[in-house]
Amino acid sequence: MSDVTMKPADEKKKEDTKPEEEKKEEPKKEPPTVPQEIRSNALLIDRAVSTLEPRFTLRVLRTLAALRKRLNSKVLAEAIEGVYPSSSQVRQSLMTWLPTRDSEATMEIDTATAPQPTSTPSPPRQNIEPVPEVEIYLRLLIVYHLLSDKSTYSKAMELVQQTVQKMQALNRRSMDPIAAKVWYAVERAYELTGDLAEARPLFLAAQRTASLRHDDETQASLINRLLRNYLHYNLYDQADKLVLKTTFPVSAGNPQHARYHYFLGRIRAVQLNYSAAHANLQQAIRRAPPATTAPGFYQAVHKLSVVVELLMGDIPDRGIFRHAVLEKALTGYFEIVKAVRTGSLSQFQSTLSKHAAQFEADKTYTLIVRLRQNVIKTGIRRLSLSYSRISLRDICVKLHLDSEEDAEYIVGKAIRDGVIDGHISHERGWLECGAQKSGYGFEVSEVFMRRIQYCLELHNESVKAMRYPLNAHRKELDAAEAARQREQELLRQVGEDGGGSFDDEPGLGEGF
Amino acid sequence: MATTELATLYNQLKTTFTSQPADLKACGELLAKLKVGLIQHGLLVPQGDVDLSDLAVAREILEIGAFWSIRTRDIPSFDRYFSQLQTYYNDYSSALPPSPREYPIRGLNLIRLLTQNRIADFHTTLESLPLPADSLASNPYISHPINLERWLMEGSYSKVWNAREEAPAEEYKFFVDSLMGTIRNEIASCEEAAYNSLPIKDAATLLFFRSQQEVLKYAQERGWQVDLTGATITFAKKGEEKSEIPKDKLITVNLQYARELEMIV
Repeated sequence: MSDVTMKPADEKKKEDTKPEEEKKEEPKKEPPTVPQEIRSNALLIDRAVSTLEPRFTLRVLRTLAALRKRLNSKVLAEAIEGVYPSSSQVRQSLMTWLPTRDSEATMEIDTATAPQPTSTPSPPRQNIEPVPEVEIYLRLLIVYHLLSDKSTYSKAMELVQQTVQKMQALNRRSMDPIAAKVWYAVERAYELTGDLAEARPLFLAAQRTASLRHDDETQASLINRLLRNYLHYNLYDQADKLVLKTTFPVSAGNPQHARYHYFLGRIRAVQLNYSAAHANLQQAIRRAPPATTAPGFYQAVHKLSVVVELLMGDIPDRGIFRHAVLEKALTGYFEIVKAVRTGSLSQFQSTLSKHAAQFEADKTYTLIVRLRQNVIKTGIRRLSLSYSRISLRDICVKLHLDSEEDAEYIVGKAIRDGVIDGHISHERGWLECGAQKSGYGFEVSEVFMRRIQYCLELHNESVKAMRYPLNAHRKELDAAEAARQREQELLRQVGEDGGGSFDDEPGLGEGF
Repeated sequence: MATTELATLYNQLKTTFTSQPADLKACGELLAKLKVGLIQHGLLVPQGDVDLSDLAVAREILEIGAFWSIRTRDIPSFDRYFSQLQTYYNDYSSALPPSPREYPIRGLNLIRLLTQNRIADFHTTLESLPLPADSLASNPYISHPINLERWLMEGSYSKVWNAREEAPAEEYKFFVDSLMGTIRNEIASCEEAAYNSLPIKDAATLLFFRSQQEVLKYAQERGWQVDLTGATITFAKKGEEKSEIPKDKLITVNLQYARELEMIV
């Protein structure tokens, strides 16, 4: 499951992820060569289709992210040759998509120097066409390859469109998991060619079809594509409506769920529904792959979740700012947290202007601007905790407010909102702070209740999510059967031996 | 209706609208006719290939309509015009030359959301503005509602009060009254919580009332106790919240735990 979700990283922040991934790639021992791997993948897909077991396809797709980095025209051509018989039409049509410029030169050298990788594994070349799923899979690989170079973007676009048509014409359920990936490639192609908005009608139509066909994987993928598309253009209204009108398939994979929750969190945060946003972001963090596999996604979610937590009036955990993956990406946010914690408006303003560009790029700027009132509230709270009586003038000076008049209104609002306890004495111009609430009451039990509820739910969910392989109990039954037989054998033997000894005994006795 | 007729109507509308003082009634009639004309030419909700200059004209008519509805204090009508304009602002933004009235109208829409206390919608609209977030503050039409919202959320009501004269466009002032009503209610609810009692004179300044009569009338509306001899207002304290243990709830919850535990064990 770890590899499937490499994508969110690529989707979000390329620059953050690059160096780490490269580092990771190197120490890896050279597993089977790319053409070999593709060929074995093709066999797996074949098997998946013939046995109606989508597990094999999923296994193939899991290697996609790693495979993607090692693609080039040479290996692709080799793989296609390996998979399709030479007379195949599909083979020729696939070959035409491969960029020719580097392949000609390297091909010849390659055949001369390295004939062994092609010959050694050489599966008996059957003259049967592989299933169409394999073709789509290979097309997907070619698209990825075309998308890795700027000059071939337009070609990738063409291929993507053709592939989508083909996919929809074929309409095979066994193709769904691959189709979901193809849609990602479609989005990427549109994005790189610069008109993401153009893809919307295509996605919407495909989403409709997918939901009619109960094609969960594709549907999940498409909903995420659409949401991302809307949010890219800041169309929160439309995104919200899409969420309202669709139901995200429960059976979708974790990575899709993680993305969906992230997008939902974004929408809810903009709509000021912070607690819902927080819950969604938590889900996204939990469902996301480990931080080192998809650091970009991890960082993006954490950035948003820090801001949302602050907006809710909580202070995020200190630990997350020390996390190896997050430390550097979250520095700006860390300073904001510090400013909010101390309740210092001036520090908050200076931090905001210092990191404005970063926040703007992360699309969190407007959310952070909303924090201003939280800064003031924390400030007032701190004052109310440390003084039993304080003049409005002093509040004004300490919080850098503009006038005493403002201070009076602000404190009044804080009292009404339940931030602090106390009352203002207007004639004398001071704030009289009330007694602190004790930390023990019904609210505590409510929080406790919520946590227990969560744990129970988690337990139930995990029980539900357990998978039992088909016919696995048969083996156990066989084993049990064998054991029983063995036992009986043993018993019989014992019986025979025993019988023997009994027989002997009288003899013995006789002998005595 | 022929295109020429539409053009004359359009010119008529323009002159009527810009003349001082504008004849609002005549404008309304012209707008109604123009809208029919626009529908006949498929311009009200543009579809397919349409001439760009036609679109620009249609946009201007709708913009005038939006301003007109604010001057006649017809908020639902403003809402309609604004949603029709959205197509022009969002989908044709690259094809059409930017309209000078775009941001005033967007700003007005923001203020409208603010006065109706639709804060969530306010923020959603704000996010979807086609401006980079840090340049929002430099656009006078947009920064005005943004500041208002910030002050409202902070509680700096006096700043809101003082800003009512600084509106960047004439139309913004039409919203001031309803905004002041909103603020007054906010302040009143804060006072109820924050003060035990308050001299009438101070209450008047806090609530931005000019005369004592207004305060007394307002106090009656909110049900405050007014002591005329001492000239103070006393706020009825809501009784201290009773800290009763909700037994029923706790019992059901505990029973549920027991059941779940049994299932696990």
